[in-house]
Amino acid sequence: MSTATESPAARLVLNIYVGLFCLYLFLPLAVMSAAAFNAYPYPSVTQWQGFTLEWFVALAHDQRLLKGLLNSVIVALGVIAVSIPAGLAGALILTRLSERSGTFLYSVLVSPVLTPGIILGISSLIFWREFGVPGGLFVAVMAQSSFIASYAMLLFLARLQRQDRTLEEAALDLGARHTLVFRRITLPFLAPTAFTAAVVAFLQSFENYNTTVFAIGGEWTLVTEIASRLRFGLSPVINVVGVIFVVLTLLAASAYVVLKGKPKR
Amino acid sequence: MASLARAYGKLLAALICAITVAWVLVLIVVPIGAMLEQSLWWRESGGDITLSIDRLYNEIAVIELDANTATDPAKRAAIESTLEQKRTEIATLEAQETNPPKMYGLANFTRMSSLHLYIFVRTIFYALLVTLLAFIVCYPIAYAVALASGPRKTVILTVALIVPYAINELLRVYAWLMILDYRGVINGLLAWAGFIDLDAREWIPFLENPSAVFLAMIYTYVLFMVFPMVNTLETLDRNQIEAARDLGASTWRIHRRVIIPHAKPGIAVGCIMTFMLSAGSYSVPVIMTRGQGGDWFSQLVYRQFYESNNWNMGSAYAVSLLVVCTAFILIMMRLFGVGLRDIAK
Repeated sequence: MSTATESPAARLVLNIYVGLFCLYLFLPLAVMSAAAFNAYPYPSVTQWQGFTLEWFVALAHDQRLLKGLLNSVIVALGVIAVSIPAGLAGALILTRLSERSGTFLYSVLVSPVLTPGIILGISSLIFWREFGVPGGLFVAVMAQSSFIASYAMLLFLARLQRQDRTLEEAALDLGARHTLVFRRITLPFLAPTAFTAAVVAFLQSFENYNTTVFAIGGEWTLVTEIASRLRFGLSPVINVVGVIFVVLTLLAASAYVVLKGKPKR
Repeated sequence: MASLARAYGKLLAALICAITVAWVLVLIVVPIGAMLEQSLWWRESGGDITLSIDRLYNEIAVIELDANTATDPAKRAAIESTLEQKRTEIATLEAQETNPPKMYGLANFTRMSSLHLYIFVRTIFYALLVTLLAFIVCYPIAYAVALASGPRKTVILTVALIVPYAINELLRVYAWLMILDYRGVINGLLAWAGFIDLDAREWIPFLENPSAVFLAMIYTYVLFMVFPMVNTLETLDRNQIEAARDLGASTWRIHRRVIIPHAKPGIAVGCIMTFMLSAGSYSVPVIMTRGQGGDWFSQLVYRQFYESNNWNMGSAYAVSLLVVCTAFILIMMRLFGVGLRDIAK
């Protein structure tokens, strides 16, 4: 099926390049994962001292990391609770506005995606201090939501563009109340997108560092805790966290391929 | 607004508007405004006030001595009154010292030391370089994924790209830290091959070189360049390439006249994202250098907030960064002729 627009030599060069690029992407992750199983107390693959699972046990007993994990989940759930309604509301307004008047609102709502993460963290930190709220989990939720809501809005917008509005209009003509139409037609149509948006929001929030580190104050999430440990020295326990991330991602990716591959066949 | 009310009813329309307004105000506009405001004032907590207070205390001590030795009641009363005067002066100065008056102006921006200004300029320059390198590295990849492979291979490649992209940014940086550290993989291999001796601390200090930050930064943000480019290239009709080739165009010419013009919006978005992420990156420099390589501007901002506790100065630094990023976005949009709606696709 591939188009033979290049000479074989050019194809070979391109293939080798793509191969090297994939190596560049995956080799560091492989090294990091392998070191998690090394008995050597400093994360290494060159000084192999035998296979061990002791770092997994150490992680299970690491109270600060576990608390960080819990905090990460709390923040991510908070972000979902804030950004999904906000993104939905923004998308609903934008689809009903004319192109011209919508553009300004659109620019404002999308701007956080294009703003450096540290700036979102700083501005939220300053804003909430005015109300006597110091940096912490709440401010982290607010700071992250400012841009994650934009992502949610973009997903909802894409879905709403494919909406058949006649369905809602027909229901209204037949005398259904607005709230009923919204609940029975609009929301079910948007439900799959809401789910996708929630997953995206959770992942974005969970792995966010640059915004969170400014907004989190004295609290910590899994990611900020890992970062502050890395400043003082390396430990195989961090590699274990890495392995868990890699495995989860690979599982999700395979599930995606299986699901996506089926209807195509 | 009217069409919103017609579609969803007054109640829901009002709710939708309220949520959107709250989002715009509470999460976006007012916080940025607050940061801007914070950057425009400072408190004059000069050492001058402290000095004057110290001087006054000394004077009082001398006068008190006089007061004790004075015998003439008139003279004594005069001394008492000056004493009282000095004491009130101290009280006002001390009030100023603990709660200095707000001064508005641009001093937070102009006061940036030459070292910090140098770091600022260097960070912008490095971010531009990261963007350029990422583009050069990515272009063939985007081309291969979008145009040069069959559908099956495309799915595999896309997944191969998404997996590292989905893994936490910090862990990706950490992987490079492991590789380049003093006792890292590369030094380990060199020691194993007998070139260096780790026990004699003869390692090569990769981490003290700015290129270590570079390498990890490109690794971390390269995929933000790949995906937008793939997205636009996928919409290119391959027949256009065939036609150009049949008409005798060279490969170089096809890329320059057919493929790159088509990929323009994707290139703009990729460059904007990569520049924005690397200029504002805190994670990569803080982990890779661990205080040994040169600072990145974001580290200075962090220290202003969490170490010097000078939020006004920190805000001014953050605003400077925001201005540069906004300018970059506007320039790219102009140069590539793309609108904001193309960017967010």
